[in-house]
Amino acid sequence: MTNPADQPPVPPSGGASGSPERADDGPPPVGGAGEGPHEGMPYGTTPPGPPEGAPPGPYGGVPPGPFPVPLRLSPKVLLIDPVRMLPSLLVPLVGVLVVGGFSSRSYLWAALGLVGTVVVAVIRWATFTYEIVGDRVEIKRSLISRSIRTIPLERVRGVDVSTPPMHRLLGLSVLKIDTGATGGDGEATLDGITVQEAERLRPLLLRRAGTAPASDAGPAVESAADAGPAERVIFAVPRRWLLYGPLSGAYLLTPFALVGGAIGLAFQWGDDLGFGQDAAWNVGQWLWARPSLLVAAVVLLVTAMPFAGGVMYAVFNWDFRLKRRDGYLVAERGLINRRSVSLESRRVRGYEIVDGLAERWVGVVRAWAIVTGLGDSETRGQLLPVVPRADATTVTGEAIGPYRSSLRPHPPVARNRRLFRAVFPWLIPAAAAGLLLLLTGSAVWSVLLVAALILAALGVPLGLDRYRSLGHGYDGERVAVRSGSLRRSMAVVERRAVVGWRLRQTWFQRRAGVFTLTVGAGAGKGGYSAIDVSAAQARDFPAEVTPEWLAPFLNAPPTGTPRPPTSG
Amino acid sequence: MRDPANRVSPRARGLWLLEALFGFVLLVGGSVLAGGWVGGSGWAWVPEWFAARPWLLPVTVAVLTTPFLVAEPFVRYAVHRWELSGDVVYARQGFLTREWVFVPVSRIQTVDKGQGWLERMLGLATLEIRTASHAGSSTIKGLDFRVAAELAEALARRAEQLRDDAT
Repeated sequence: MTNPADQPPVPPSGGASGSPERADDGPPPVGGAGEGPHEGMPYGTTPPGPPEGAPPGPYGGVPPGPFPVPLRLSPKVLLIDPVRMLPSLLVPLVGVLVVGGFSSRSYLWAALGLVGTVVVAVIRWATFTYEIVGDRVEIKRSLISRSIRTIPLERVRGVDVSTPPMHRLLGLSVLKIDTGATGGDGEATLDGITVQEAERLRPLLLRRAGTAPASDAGPAVESAADAGPAERVIFAVPRRWLLYGPLSGAYLLTPFALVGGAIGLAFQWGDDLGFGQDAAWNVGQWLWARPSLLVAAVVLLVTAMPFAGGVMYAVFNWDFRLKRRDGYLVAERGLINRRSVSLESRRVRGYEIVDGLAERWVGVVRAWAIVTGLGDSETRGQLLPVVPRADATTVTGEAIGPYRSSLRPHPPVARNRRLFRAVFPWLIPAAAAGLLLLLTGSAVWSVLLVAALILAALGVPLGLDRYRSLGHGYDGERVAVRSGSLRRSMAVVERRAVVGWRLRQTWFQRRAGVFTLTVGAGAGKGGYSAIDVSAAQARDFPAEVTPEWLAPFLNAPPTGTPRPPTSG
Repeated sequence: MRDPANRVSPRARGLWLLEALFGFVLLVGGSVLAGGWVGGSGWAWVPEWFAARPWLLPVTVAVLTTPFLVAEPFVRYAVHRWELSGDVVYARQGFLTREWVFVPVSRIQTVDKGQGWLERMLGLATLEIRTASHAGSSTIKGLDFRVAAELAEALARRAEQLRDDAT
């Protein structure tokens, strides 16, 4: 690609974001070809790898170690693979044993199955290697087809280290490299390296990106970057705050999921495990004949919801810590599966603060980071579990940046629209049920009518609350947008992440004179919408945040025949 | 906020009319089948007058959709406009729901120029301007092929000069 003479303009705010050396590392915008934004990684720009045995230059502070030698996963992973395959083997095995009547032949088949999995695991282990060569990671796999994945270190956007229970027993962990590429190849997984190896690899993988000018990293972190992993805990969530967990509604359906899973298993495997589907049906009918028992079971499950949900929440969010290390934000959490996610500060563009109805009553919120090119951002981007609002504001402000302004309300007509949309959908079934009640006089319709009317009545406070949630604002550096009631969410996005604006007006919105204004952001969900802004707000807000983009279109049209500029 | 300066090609009306006609034919054809099926089924809830006249369904559908069929090309031609000024693409589009999109050239990642077979017949092209965000991406439909080619070329060249990798 040709290097242009013009330097990319650095946006007026947002710090040293437009680092010039990155200006030409993406694919050139081309006419015709449907290239994705992350295809065409610059393989050609990397040196052909260090000579054998040469000390690895860029990693001065780290003991040389066997760098140029391809590394394998820890052999201990061989203990995990067969165990992991057991469930999928179990059913056919049991089937073979039962059908074969515990003859020596069925044992032979079972043994063959076990040996097969072990052999596959060994071959897979032996043919899987990884290696850091120069400034890229190479992952080779040659079990059936030979494949080499090359990931330039500068493309590494995050490293996610987790230790599932079995791995933890053996001192292993799973390391995932997030490259931000879209599609199934978005990440590479090293499943089963020792914890020490994961700790060694993490800074190496993150180093390239971490040493680039990081606008968000403080000077202390910058100077410590070469000395090794300097780490500072931004926030550790106290244990008693785990009690807030059930308020978030997460994992609340755990008891039902467990029961549903058990029923599904019984139906699927019932035959294999020795009791037929008839038995399951009989149990169901026996229960159905005793409604009091059924009601008791449902009541038990419902009361178990907050407890089971709380336990699950505590297991996943145990000892949540948010740290800063080498220009990375690292979130660690989990009791059984201890998980550590590193987000590159340079790619963090904002955050989203979410609270549900119950959480708002207590005054607690959750927070996610808005990061460019982060896969699985719902779990990886989590900055904070359920914590008090004031702490969330402080921590997001310190880790990413504060939003220092208030939100502007949307016009009153937006309230009417929220109310209408919350109430009207329930009035249709109510009217239908009422009509059928008049025609047939059946009691079923009166029950439905009452239910629909209750839901419509609940729509009034819901609609009013949705209107109260609506808001947008700009503090000179960050754009904030808020909406929602049952799940209220406020997104705060840096100005430099804004890649465009979209105004949308449905036929109904046109009648009401309002617009939906979407901030296009090259991070997170891609767009954050301010719902039902007035015409004046729709015009002024983009012009306030990005005046230079909107200026040509606010005034009278240019004279003469407009043509696309063809000058270079 | 003013309208974008340029209209799309007048032949785009033909494109929208043809596209709407295809939808119309499918809808009316489907309702002919559905009407015949329901009318001839002899189900208890089908009223007598409908069973005798199953053609009522397609006729109703045709009467209800014809105004939209006639209006759509002209409304779209009035609404669809675009402009490139000050290194920002400003485009408006829509029929019942309208959309205004502002995409600064510095944030453009790819520019795609595409032609379906209908567009090919009419000498039209669709320009897809993509950024890192779906909300900041724009599709301009019904451009004259030559205009689309020039615009794509200009955008690609300018985007390369301005490229700003903040996202």
